[in-house]
Amino acid sequence: MTVEAARRGGEALGDSALRPDGVLKVTGEFAYSSDLWADDMVWGVTLRSPHPRARITGIDVSEALAVPGVHAVLTHEDVPGEKFYGLEHHDQPVLAIDQVRYQGEPVALVAADHPETARRARDRIRVGYEVLEPLTDARRAALDPSYPKVHGDRSNVVRHQPIRVGDMAHARRVAEVVVRGEYEVGMQDQAFLGPESGLAVPAEDGGVDLFVATQWLHVDQEQIAPCLGLPTGRVRLTLAGVGGAFGAREDLSMQIHACLLALRTGRPVKIVYGREESFFGHVHRHPARLRYEHGATRDGRLVYVDAEIVLDGGAYASSTSAVVGNAASLGVGPYEVPNVRLDAYGVYTNNPPCGAMRGFGAVQACFAYESQMDKVAEACGLDPVEVRIRNAVAEGSRLATGQVIDMPAPLAAMLEDARAFPAPPPTGTADVRDLPGGVSNTTHGEGVRRGVGYAVGIKNICYSEGFDDHSTARVRLETVGGEPAALVHTAAAEVGQGLVTLQAQIARTELGVRQVTVAPADTGVGSAGSSSASRQSYMTGGAVRAACEAVRERVIELAEERLGRSLPGASLHDGRVVAADGLAVASLAEVLAGRAVEETREFRHRRTTALDPLTGQGDSHVQFAFCVHRAVVDVDVELGLVKVVELAAVQDVGRILNPLALEGQIHGGSAQGLGLALMEEIQVRDGVVRNPSFTDYLIPTILDMPPMRTRILENADPHAPYGLRGAGEPPTLSSTPAIVAAVRDATGRPLTRIPVRPEHISCG
Amino acid sequence: MRPLEYRRAEDPRRAVTAVAGRPGAMFLGAGTNLVDHLKLGVARPDLLVDVSHLPYDKIEPRPGGGLRIGAAVRNSDLAAHPLVRQHYPVLAQALLSGASPQLRNLATTAGNLLQRTRCPYFQDVTTPCNKREPGTGCSALEGYNREHAVLGASEHCVAVHPSDMAVALTVLDAEVRVLGSGGERTIPITELYRLPGDRPDRDTVLKHGDLITAVDLPGLPMAAHSAYRKVRERASYAFALVSVAAAVQVRDGAITDARVAFGGLAHKPWRAYRAEEALRGVRVSAAPGDTLAEATTAAPIAAGGAASTGENAGGTSTVEDLRAAADAELADARPLAHNAFKIPMARNTFVAVLRGLLREEGATR
Amino acid sequence: MRVTFTVNGSRESVDDVWEGESLLYVLRERMGLPGAKNACEQGECGSCTVYLDGAPVCACLVAAGQVEGREVRTVEGLADGGRLDPVQEAFVECGAVQCGFCTPGLIVQTHALLARRPDPSDAEIREALAGNLCRCTGYEKILDAVRLAASRKTGAE
Repeated sequence: MTVEAARRGGEALGDSALRPDGVLKVTGEFAYSSDLWADDMVWGVTLRSPHPRARITGIDVSEALAVPGVHAVLTHEDVPGEKFYGLEHHDQPVLAIDQVRYQGEPVALVAADHPETARRARDRIRVGYEVLEPLTDARRAALDPSYPKVHGDRSNVVRHQPIRVGDMAHARRVAEVVVRGEYEVGMQDQAFLGPESGLAVPAEDGGVDLFVATQWLHVDQEQIAPCLGLPTGRVRLTLAGVGGAFGAREDLSMQIHACLLALRTGRPVKIVYGREESFFGHVHRHPARLRYEHGATRDGRLVYVDAEIVLDGGAYASSTSAVVGNAASLGVGPYEVPNVRLDAYGVYTNNPPCGAMRGFGAVQACFAYESQMDKVAEACGLDPVEVRIRNAVAEGSRLATGQVIDMPAPLAAMLEDARAFPAPPPTGTADVRDLPGGVSNTTHGEGVRRGVGYAVGIKNICYSEGFDDHSTARVRLETVGGEPAALVHTAAAEVGQGLVTLQAQIARTELGVRQVTVAPADTGVGSAGSSSASRQSYMTGGAVRAACEAVRERVIELAEERLGRSLPGASLHDGRVVAADGLAVASLAEVLAGRAVEETREFRHRRTTALDPLTGQGDSHVQFAFCVHRAVVDVDVELGLVKVVELAAVQDVGRILNPLALEGQIHGGSAQGLGLALMEEIQVRDGVVRNPSFTDYLIPTILDMPPMRTRILENADPHAPYGLRGAGEPPTLSSTPAIVAAVRDATGRPLTRIPVRPEHISCG
Repeated sequence: MRPLEYRRAEDPRRAVTAVAGRPGAMFLGAGTNLVDHLKLGVARPDLLVDVSHLPYDKIEPRPGGGLRIGAAVRNSDLAAHPLVRQHYPVLAQALLSGASPQLRNLATTAGNLLQRTRCPYFQDVTTPCNKREPGTGCSALEGYNREHAVLGASEHCVAVHPSDMAVALTVLDAEVRVLGSGGERTIPITELYRLPGDRPDRDTVLKHGDLITAVDLPGLPMAAHSAYRKVRERASYAFALVSVAAAVQVRDGAITDARVAFGGLAHKPWRAYRAEEALRGVRVSAAPGDTLAEATTAAPIAAGGAASTGENAGGTSTVEDLRAAADAELADARPLAHNAFKIPMARNTFVAVLRGLLREEGATR
Repeated sequence: MRVTFTVNGSRESVDDVWEGESLLYVLRERMGLPGAKNACEQGECGSCTVYLDGAPVCACLVAAGQVEGREVRTVEGLADGGRLDPVQEAFVECGAVQCGFCTPGLIVQTHALLARRPDPSDAEIREALAGNLCRCTGYEKILDAVRLAASRKTGAE
């Protein structure tokens, strides 16, 4: 069906338009950030700390500098401007100064004419370390004021956000059923495939041009320039091909380093992380410990939630504050709960820094509150879907933050839809590839039990809590070779999600032209904000539409001038100006007459407010999105192996803009949730990462992912462009708890920690 | 740039001489392990002698039964070979459960045998490791040791051998043909690998410059009734937490002979002699296969309770006897802080493999 | 050292290769063929899959010297002039490409699968592609693409 839709060849909004970069990507010609090359280029490498916490007693680079082929060796002393940077707090040194706070922290840089030479020279940098006991207990960091500090005198608590609603004492008296649980979420990695990389080219004006894979060019620029001691305008960024992001490219990695080396050597500098280094080169999903208590009536209606969420932010703040905001504001899930006492903490430790990853903050909470909902169902003798329906929010519901959902929220119907999916047939035993363990031949059907689980999630779309977010688009309409053609220019990062396709679809639809080019994203146009928080269709989509509308108005004015009459209600279709009565009055080529019409617009979403620091009340979110999953699993209870037989998802996206791309988001998001449920965890012991490779950090293969069913609803959000709802993150929330619920259903095991390991199922 | 010489060997004896005479020299097969180790800095040779082009790329039947597998035969070719699939299914299954299609297309027989441990401390040159740098200590002993050994480890090393193929060869009584400075010799695979003891830097008994030229498989009738199962957390493309290779012979309703080996438990593929001994004489309860299937289904191996049907002479079921055989082997197992689960997992996998083989045995009669 | 081998049908020599370099590095950094990708460079992801003497392998684990005199075909060598191979076409049409970093490896591996087995079952597709990690798509659209390419290839015969 999808393939046919694609072959219809439609390219307007709502069609399965094909990616404009698709052909380049299948032929190997698409230029990713690690594919770049320049004459006279040298290679940069990074020396990183092997210790999670140590004082630096000295750095001697002389031996490294003496290696033939080495062009520069830099330490913190060579950082000409600001020594610290960061997304929310400037707490992270460009290069470690007098101490290191996590294993893998950059300490020095080398540029050489061959990567192997650079690596060998790096090995000759002598760093004296006075090793200290790492501070790795996030809960103590959150709650014990006597715990030593990671950052001098600064509190270990990056943010504490309470939520206080109702009368807890009364609620406890009223509740007839109480269930408690403690949950743990392991540290997940985004595991994008394209490693951190880029090319910095020194410019004649003393500045630098950086070609890099990132999620937000302008926020990079704002952080890089001060560290280089340069005015912002002299640090120009162009988006290179991005090999996936998922939050891991929100923070800087090699950007400042490559620029420093380029400015020092006067030559283009390429830095490409290997996979192992990549695990140290970006932030991860916050691991979390969550303690929940739910009170309900005997018929399964929630009376209160009492919860404590501790998120380990690691050595630097990154986006920890926002993660805490999400975990707190969405911490009871998409349910009506009259009484809430919830405390979410994000803390500093000497563990690897954590920040943005798809669904951040909401993912961790969702595993806990959905596990709790199953417990409530069990305690009340209710079906797990039924208990969710009884408590589900709807349009008009008030969330724990006091914010009223003022857009469709058909959660109960979505749950009914999920329950109504036909059950997948029992797995035959003929082909071991269909059984738990797959090609490992672990079972031939004996000891295999089936389980079914459901989960729902709620995710905020766009940036929250009063952030004045915007995106900028410049659209130019002109005639090229006699045909009207549009050029769309934004700084928005295409990271694989299909934003380039969508921008062109919008321009085609709004301007009625076939030929649309999306210019490479760079800092030559205003900020588009980040490709995160599922916000780009909304924000940059909104900006492109606004710019197109402005261009359209100008073109109609030109047509009016040309025709000498006004054209109220005119529009652009198929290369023509069409009057309100549907008749074409002029071709665009005639109207433009060789001129170009260009307009730039900034798009802003409606205002939000901060959360009250004591009660957590506030209209903090722009939009809410929902996804429901049903998971069906087969579990080999003898060996503890799980085969997900089928994942089914119901998601409301407001309006479908590109069915093919949308399904890809739901599938991909669900797969990352499957990974977190069953296999993905960065193993950290005493602050040290033990599995920085794709052999030891496992992400799902094609044999692990089941066939997926999807049902996509379109209940338009009246506040959003085209009524759309951000779609990328919600599937990542609910697939994890649905799968774990299904494994519990098959095994009867409590399974309070993810990823679930074989020894949690049997052999424990 | 670190000096590194590459030579393509045209003649086996000269290749042996070249490596034996130079401490920093290494043989290069397909490179799937060594090229990675060059990048990681785990291996730092100054000479690579590429032996992948030597004429060891044949799989040949041996007079009197059995197969000779050339050292340079690709894993994918070996797994697909009709004689292997027919007579040594355990070997084909083990090969196909390892790595990925692209890696099996490269990897050679000898390279597979000599691949080095996946212990994360061995791979991380910034941490102490007695296997990588003798005398520096073992980081895994008190570190993160979930994937490590429960059998035959020492205080100097708790790493496990990563090969699936070698576990299968261990139950096939394979012999490894070696060309060394002193000429050719043959080593039973059960004697090729060492336990770590106080020299964990040495994985095998081979001397520097010894070149594996072939693996000989004897004609072993029970090998046609053999199987390999591997437990890991992902459906493919991951190393074993535990694996079991087994072959059985059943006569008149009882096991008369068996070969079993464990992977993922020790510094070498662990031939389970004690379990084999315990298996001999186990009655395959009330064959034909249906009854056994019922018995085994009714008695899940993870549960401790007694089985309800198919009692044997001593009042025990076949599954209980299988479990007892596994326990006999695992009695000496010593878990580390994070890998105690491997012991029941090994037992359950053992029972599952044997149960499967016995059921097939019943079904084919 | 100098390495001479055939790549995408043409015989090429590369000079000044360091003996520790991989085939992947030589292709990407010395020959201007960055199609094979560097997602892990440890044989753990399949993004660098190329044909070596007709068999798909991970180019990152082949030492440069080992390709002397041999034949390599990369993703850049699959299209017939301006015409995409049916596998490439199907990946674009089915939405099997998102960020695209895994795509070249998957295209070569799928190409090899369909050459060996023109009409594979889903289980065979999954087994053949189990060494190619993708982080974006959840693999559903990749399965669609392989099925479509297979149907077109067998249809064309």
